[in-house]
Amino acid sequence: MKPTDISAPDYFHKVVDCQWACPAHTPVPEYIRLIAEGRYSDAYMINWKSNVFPGILGRTCDRPCEPACRRGRVEDNPVAICRLKRVAADFKDDIKHRLPKPGPKNGKRIALVGGGPASLAVARDLAPLGYHCTVFDGDPKAGGMMRSQIPKFRLPDSVIDEETDYILNLGVEFKGGQRVDSLKQLLSENYDAIFVGSGAPRGRELDIPGRNEAGANIHIGIEWLANVSFGHVDKIGRRVIVLGGGNTAMDCCRTARRLGGESVKVVVRSGFEEMKASPWEKEDAIHEDIPILNYMVPVAFKHVAGKLIGVIFQKVRAEYDDKGRRNLVPSGEPDETIPCDDVLVAVGQENAFPWIEADCGIEFDKWHMPKVDPKTFVSTNPKVFFGGDAAFGPKNIIWAVAHGHDAALSIHKMLSGEDINERPLPEVHVSSQKMGIHEWSYDNDISADKRFKVPHRDKVVALKDIRAEVELGYDLKLALGEAQRCLNCDVQTVFAAPLCIECDACVDICPMDCISFTENGEEDDLRQRLKAPSPHHDQALYVSGDLKTGRVMVKDEDVCLHCGLCAERCPTGAWDMQKYLIDMVQAGSTCQSKARSAA
Amino acid sequence: MMVAMNPQTWDKDVASIEPGGYLFYDSTKPMPSSKFREDITVIGVPLTAITNSTYTDPRQRQLFKNIIYLGALCALLDLDPKVVEQLIGEQYKGKEKLLSSNVHALHLGRDWALQNLKCPLGLRVKKSDKVGDRIFIEGNSAAALGAVYGGATVCAWYPITPSSSVAEAFTSHCKKYRHDPETGKAKYAIVQGEDELASIGIVIGASWNGARAFTATSGPGISLMTEFIGLSYFAEIPAVIMNIQRAGPSTGMPTRTQQCDVIACAYASHGDTKHVLLFPEDPAEAFEFAAAAFDLAERLQTTIFLMLDLDIGMNHRLCRPLKWDDAKQYDRGKVMTAEMLEEGRDFGRYLDVDGDGIPYRTYPGTHPTKGSYFTRGTSRDRYARYSEEGAVYADNMQRLVRKFETAQDMVPRPLQANAAKPTKYGVLYFGSTSPAMDEAIGILEARGHQLDRMRIRAFPFHSSVASFIADHDFVYVVEQNRDAQLRQLIVNENGIDPVRLVPILHYDGTPITARFIANAIGDHQDHLKVTPLRKAVT
Amino acid sequence: MTYIAKPKFHHPGLKKNELGYTHRDYEGKISTLCAGCGHDSITASIIEACYELSIEPHRVAKISGIGCSSKTPDYFLGNSHGFNSVHGRMPSVLTGANLANRDLIYLGVSGDGDSASIGFGQFAHSIRRAVNMTYIVENNGVYGLTKGQFSATADRGSKSKKGVTNTDNAIDLVAIALQLGATFVARSFSGDKTQLVPLIAAAIRHKGASFIDVISPCIAFNNHAGSTKSFDYVREHNDAVNRLDVLVGREPISVDYAPGTVQVVEQHDGSRLALRKLDADYDPHDRLGAMTFLQKHAAKGQIVTGLLYVDPDAEDLHTHLDTVETPLNTMDEQALCPGSAVLDKINASLR
Repeated sequence: MKPTDISAPDYFHKVVDCQWACPAHTPVPEYIRLIAEGRYSDAYMINWKSNVFPGILGRTCDRPCEPACRRGRVEDNPVAICRLKRVAADFKDDIKHRLPKPGPKNGKRIALVGGGPASLAVARDLAPLGYHCTVFDGDPKAGGMMRSQIPKFRLPDSVIDEETDYILNLGVEFKGGQRVDSLKQLLSENYDAIFVGSGAPRGRELDIPGRNEAGANIHIGIEWLANVSFGHVDKIGRRVIVLGGGNTAMDCCRTARRLGGESVKVVVRSGFEEMKASPWEKEDAIHEDIPILNYMVPVAFKHVAGKLIGVIFQKVRAEYDDKGRRNLVPSGEPDETIPCDDVLVAVGQENAFPWIEADCGIEFDKWHMPKVDPKTFVSTNPKVFFGGDAAFGPKNIIWAVAHGHDAALSIHKMLSGEDINERPLPEVHVSSQKMGIHEWSYDNDISADKRFKVPHRDKVVALKDIRAEVELGYDLKLALGEAQRCLNCDVQTVFAAPLCIECDACVDICPMDCISFTENGEEDDLRQRLKAPSPHHDQALYVSGDLKTGRVMVKDEDVCLHCGLCAERCPTGAWDMQKYLIDMVQAGSTCQSKARSAA
Repeated sequence: MMVAMNPQTWDKDVASIEPGGYLFYDSTKPMPSSKFREDITVIGVPLTAITNSTYTDPRQRQLFKNIIYLGALCALLDLDPKVVEQLIGEQYKGKEKLLSSNVHALHLGRDWALQNLKCPLGLRVKKSDKVGDRIFIEGNSAAALGAVYGGATVCAWYPITPSSSVAEAFTSHCKKYRHDPETGKAKYAIVQGEDELASIGIVIGASWNGARAFTATSGPGISLMTEFIGLSYFAEIPAVIMNIQRAGPSTGMPTRTQQCDVIACAYASHGDTKHVLLFPEDPAEAFEFAAAAFDLAERLQTTIFLMLDLDIGMNHRLCRPLKWDDAKQYDRGKVMTAEMLEEGRDFGRYLDVDGDGIPYRTYPGTHPTKGSYFTRGTSRDRYARYSEEGAVYADNMQRLVRKFETAQDMVPRPLQANAAKPTKYGVLYFGSTSPAMDEAIGILEARGHQLDRMRIRAFPFHSSVASFIADHDFVYVVEQNRDAQLRQLIVNENGIDPVRLVPILHYDGTPITARFIANAIGDHQDHLKVTPLRKAVT
Repeated sequence: MTYIAKPKFHHPGLKKNELGYTHRDYEGKISTLCAGCGHDSITASIIEACYELSIEPHRVAKISGIGCSSKTPDYFLGNSHGFNSVHGRMPSVLTGANLANRDLIYLGVSGDGDSASIGFGQFAHSIRRAVNMTYIVENNGVYGLTKGQFSATADRGSKSKKGVTNTDNAIDLVAIALQLGATFVARSFSGDKTQLVPLIAAAIRHKGASFIDVISPCIAFNNHAGSTKSFDYVREHNDAVNRLDVLVGREPISVDYAPGTVQVVEQHDGSRLALRKLDADYDPHDRLGAMTFLQKHAAKGQIVTGLLYVDPDAEDLHTHLDTVETPLNTMDEQALCPGSAVLDKINASLR
């Protein structure tokens, strides 16, 4: 293998698995260290800069970072990154003075369709630069699906208000209750750019016999949730069936439990493991005495005299073909009827753009989705940008934020007369953490603690009040314990081959057998000859240049604890622990147009 | 009677005869009259002339001269030749040729005396049975036998006078009593080390690993072993050292006796150390204490010195028969077993769980995950983890003091015998001084001096030693060294006013005698009786 | 050394040995030696060898003297008892421990000061007594703890870090061990674990006095130009006569050896040593030949490494003393005390 080019910004970025996995590339270890230090406001600001909604995401994020977390490869569970984000939000001081100020107006006007996370992220990035941003939304308050679809017991209004206000207070004009129903109209208003962040607002239907006849008691999940959210619905029947296995289904069933649903069941076509809902959301539902029934396909709504009395299910089982694809085939067991008073249908969401006229210059693909450049988020109309669920279909908040940053950058570049396809490289800072022979400017003592549970409100109390937040968040002691589980993956092991005397001290001390000194070879061959098995080929091998004996140093980044013992035991300083900070480029980053190489 | 056969020591020998005594000598060579004394009876026998006329072989001439004079003495002292013949028979059992020639020589001498001298003399050997069931044995052999009975399995030693016969006796006892009857294999291991350092090293290694082990040596060997003795004290590893004391310092008088290693052993090694010493009075006690030393070493997890001297060790002594209680079980001290560890008992190698200063130990290889520790001579905490923290070190040193206090009640207690009448004076003594002291007490009593006496049998001193001193105006401390080492130790350890302890010291290398003790104490007592000056004036 | 404890986490894919242990289960406390010390590599090699042999981690007694090397038993086999004894006296303590319990594995760890100077005598005598042990000298040619004085194994003409030239002749412990009848003699280099680990494993399985001299560079005081015990010097002058594999089970010897290049030595305990010859003329069963070979190569400035001599039919001290199979330390008064009846007879014979 060729010597690893650690100056490529992505190399060490990938080693920080959580940050790499985060669509917004939030510098997770950095803010976790600040939490451990008690610097909650600083931790919050790092998050705010990167993901715009730390308080909201700290409660609701789909957490792509956690399955990526190295700790999950070292022991049973990853660090509770998401809930630590909430700690920063919960315990910060007043940070208003640290927020950017509205910039002097540059005379450019941006229209943002939809008041959800994507549009707000764009506005957050552009408003301080002097753009006049106008956000349109059919709902009276900003927040979009964060406000309408996420139950209040998971995300209180106060948190949404706070974090949307931070953005609106940047001089962003919010036009609530004004749903945009014609892009053509909007285009005619001569905005310099339009950003579409209108989400995926339509719940998928379930067209099976009895749908219409029993329609009064059959509700589309996201619509029903929105109605609950805005106070239009405040009760449901005693026996409720929720159809679907995603997070919306979980929100539906738990909401139903709070509105009079005593016997609430979730019924899912697939198996438990394949359900789309996040594991912790399933756990929370089960904890609230909601059974999840799997491998049951709804075939008809049963009704008597226009009144829903139950749902008939066919039982299936999973079969896998040669390519490992799953098919659900009837198991041959008799159908089962589950009696109920109401059904909530949460089987998916769809995009809908009835308001985009055909002659607006926006082309659509065969899935009826606008053609959007995945890098710049521009549509086929160079003035119109898309982001969030409106761009590529339903994802989640953190993706919407990431899209928002990229779209904002494109808009800024376009309106600065630059080529939006030239994306500047992120800024990388690398600094040695060595303070003394055995002292590092980070806590390298690896905590052996298991993941700490987030305290929950007592179930009886929680189920009585739909606005009572269930999760109470970590207290400071738990937060510190959890923060210390972080392996500081951003403090990188940096190897200087010319200094190495091949004494093996690093090999001998490494608790994870990450380091090998061996003859060079092709990657597959090298992976066979390492000191410990190397099963994760997506994890990089760090290969040095040739050493005195002709061998090379090979480090499997996979399960490195970043404990720094290799560097402590290195007599010549060939190993060093260097903190790697990557500043993702946002609109308005200094020197944004200059391509930068890593330090 | 002086049988003067050594020309080198003639003058000294003749001078040492009590007035009215007898001098027996080889009259073959004429001696000037100045070489004799007026106040003694001189008996000349031409021994060389007799042997020369009887034997042609020069070697036989020399050898049989001794038997011939023994024959002559039989006649002079009216000793039944049958008894001597029996002794010769025992000596030359199985060597008939030597036996008969020796008996022949015996009669040659006896017949010559009967024919040429006036026999018997006034001085007589009388047959009597005061021995009873007592036995005749050397202390070294008895101590070695004690080691066999006490369960010693490992002996490492380096030859040095006068201790070598301990290991040799242990070897011969083991050969008789310590082979597995079925396999014939040895239930012991004896290694002659390359030096004393290796010997004590082997003992410490074996004891650390749970075997009962000992070495035997003398003063110079103790000097060499002191580094290891300090390790045994500080790392708390059992060891038994038999010190057969000889006259020091340095090479000193290797074939002469003294009790001169008391301080060297009590405080052996650098740093603050103290060791347990046992002082047997004779071979019987040497046997008993040797066996007990192994229990003590394991109970106290430290070095135990068995303090013999050349006099007890190498000379045959008459003593009470050796005794053993078959019900006795070895006390292996505080050893944590795999079962105890499995139960979850807290194991700290230097943790004083019972308040007696004695921690638990484990043998190597006891348990797969519990109870291992790293033995070291460096300071460590209660869980055997290296530490140079002052408080941790001091805590450990204090515990060692506590342990030494515990030892006071484990070691053999002093034996006290009071005078017939109440007295203000006492005497302390130990070890091989015992028979001389018994006799001296009688002599002193006859001279009108009443003395309570206490025989110290171990260090650390039992509290009764201090009370014994407190109960008397003066206490004589009788010992066989120049510097009054026992007295120093008592003063040092018990905070006694040195004026109260009068040293009686014998250190010329010969065993102490009753006469010496009686004279020294008697003289001192007589001085005490001098009327005080002030009284005389008034 | 470090202020943090080595994390207990280990690579999730680590292989386990027959007893279900990973090599991490054979570790001890974290080393307090200087960073880069060759001794730490020897520690790692001992850990690896014990792991590979599936030794129960508490059935080893680790005994050492005083010095940098003698601190190392604290750093491996944390579940075994260790004994950091007195300077130069490891061999006697080990001998005693071995006599007390013949069932444990005895690992003596010493240094060149400990074994070639103050403890030269004990080294010699433990070898000639054929104590069943693995005696490892971590040989760096220098006194590390007292900051860089020459030891007795420092080569004549080599330079100290301060620039002083050594004028005394060096003691070659391997030569002495051969002369004194050690039945397993090897030399290796701390920087060459592929050679060292199997040598340690083979030595442990050898019944008798096994001696391994391991050149172990002292990073702090003896890794400079002019030193003959530096990483660079040893790598340049290393003359390995063979490579060793230890085969514990009865599995056939793997076939990737070229024919005629492997010599198989069967030891008493059934383990087999597969020796890949690197020097075609070298015969590890020829004691005299080994001594000559060593001297010749030493004269040329070469450091001969590998398994230099092995006597597969070796005997040990217990054989010579004809001791019982049962460990002496397990025997009680039933087994050891002749009792009062015997004593009565003894008394009678003394009247």
